[in-house]
Amino acid sequence: MIAAGVGIALGVIYGWMIDPIEYTDVTPNILREDYRADYVLMVAEAHQKEQDPELAARRLAILGSDSPAQIVTVTLNFAANNGFTPNEMSALQGLLTAMQTYQPQGGSVP
Amino acid sequence: MKSFFRNTTFHMSLAILAGLGLGLGYSWKISPVTYVDASPAILRSDFKDQYRIVIAASYASSQDLARARARLRLLGDVDPIGELSAQAQRMLAAGDSLQHIEPLARLAADLQQGFASAPPSPTLFTDVNIFETPISASTFAEFAVTETLIAQIIEEASPFPTPVFEQTPLAPVFATANTPRPTFTPNPGPGAPFTLVGQDPVCDPGLQRGLLQFMFMDGRRRQVAGIEITVTWSQGEDRFFTGFKPELGDGYADFVMQPDVIYNIRVVEGGAFVPNISAPACADPNGQKYPGGLLLTFQQP
Repeated sequence: MIAAGVGIALGVIYGWMIDPIEYTDVTPNILREDYRADYVLMVAEAHQKEQDPELAARRLAILGSDSPAQIVTVTLNFAANNGFTPNEMSALQGLLTAMQTYQPQGGSVP
Repeated sequence: MKSFFRNTTFHMSLAILAGLGLGLGYSWKISPVTYVDASPAILRSDFKDQYRIVIAASYASSQDLARARARLRLLGDVDPIGELSAQAQRMLAAGDSLQHIEPLARLAADLQQGFASAPPSPTLFTDVNIFETPISASTFAEFAVTETLIAQIIEEASPFPTPVFEQTPLAPVFATANTPRPTFTPNPGPGAPFTLVGQDPVCDPGLQRGLLQFMFMDGRRRQVAGIEITVTWSQGEDRFFTGFKPELGDGYADFVMQPDVIYNIRVVEGGAFVPNISAPACADPNGQKYPGGLLLTFQQP
C-alpha cells in the first residue's frame, strides 16, 4: 500500500508539475488579466476611430459571457490600479459609455 | 522463479508502477492542470485572427507602431508580417469587406517599412488640447529634417525597389540611385492625387499571361500601401488594394486581364482614371503570340 501511495504521488507530481498537459488552442476567456485588459484597451482605441458600438461589442464578446459593459468596467478598475495613461483611461471610459448605451441588434451579436 | 515473484522488492516495484500509472491517469486525464492565466500565444487560431484584427484596428486609430509590434509579438508568430498578409488574403478570399481588411494590410506594410504611414486619429487626443500648443517655425523645421532623415535612412536600408522577384518579377526595374533631396521642401499629404507616370508592356513568357501590375509611390518614390483600385470592364468590376503582396512591394498590386477585353482603371483615392487598358500582344522566342502583361506606375506629385 505504501509503495502504491508513493507511485500515485510520483505520478501526480509528474503529471501536474514536471510534464503537465500543454494547452495550445485555448479560448480568450482564460487570458491573463493584463492581456484581457490590453485587449479591451485595443477595442477601445479602435472604437475611438470607428465609433461602431456593435462591432466593439462583438469584439468584446470573445472574452466571455459577461456583458460588454461589465467587461469594460472590470478593465477600467484594472487600468486605474495599474498606471494606465490618461489617454488610455479616456478611451476605456468612452468605450464604457458606448457599451452602457448599446442595444444589441436582434440576434446578430455572436 | 517462485521465490522471485514472492520477493518483496518485486511487489514494491509493481505497486509503485501501478501507483504511478494511477497518478498519471489522474493528473493528465481526470484532473489535468487547468489554465486560468493564458497568454495570447496559445489562443486557438481563429481567436488569434480576431486578436490580429483588433491590433490592426487599434493601430489604425493610434498609429503606435511599436505598440502594435509588441502586441503582435504576444501571439508568438514566427513571421508576424507574413501572418498579417496571409490573414488579409484569407479574409479577401472569404469575401470580407475591404473596410475590415485594409487595416491589416496597412499594418503589415507599416511594419515592413518601419514607420507609420498615416497620422493618428484626431479623436485620440480629445483630452489634450493640441490646438493651444504653439508650433514654432523651428519645431516645424525640426520635423521636416527628421522626416527627411527617416526617408533617407529607409532608402539606404532597403534600396528601392524591393528585392529580386522570383515568382512574378516586376519589369522594368527602377533606378536605385540615391539622389540628394531638398531638406525643407513641403511634401503633399497622404491624400494627394496619384497620376499615371508609366505604362509599360511586360513581355515575359515566365510571367502570368495578361498580368496587370500596379505600382504606387509617393512623392519620394516610396511605395504606398492601402491604395484602393477599381478595375471595371464590360461585364464586371473588381476592387483591391496595394500592399497585399508585401514580398513584391508595399505599393504593389496586380490583376489578371483576359485577352481582348478593355479595362478601365480608377484609383479611388485621388480619383486618377486610366481608360482603355488591354493586354498587349507579345511574342515568345518561337514567335508564338500571347497576351503580355502591363505595368502601370502611379506617383504622387
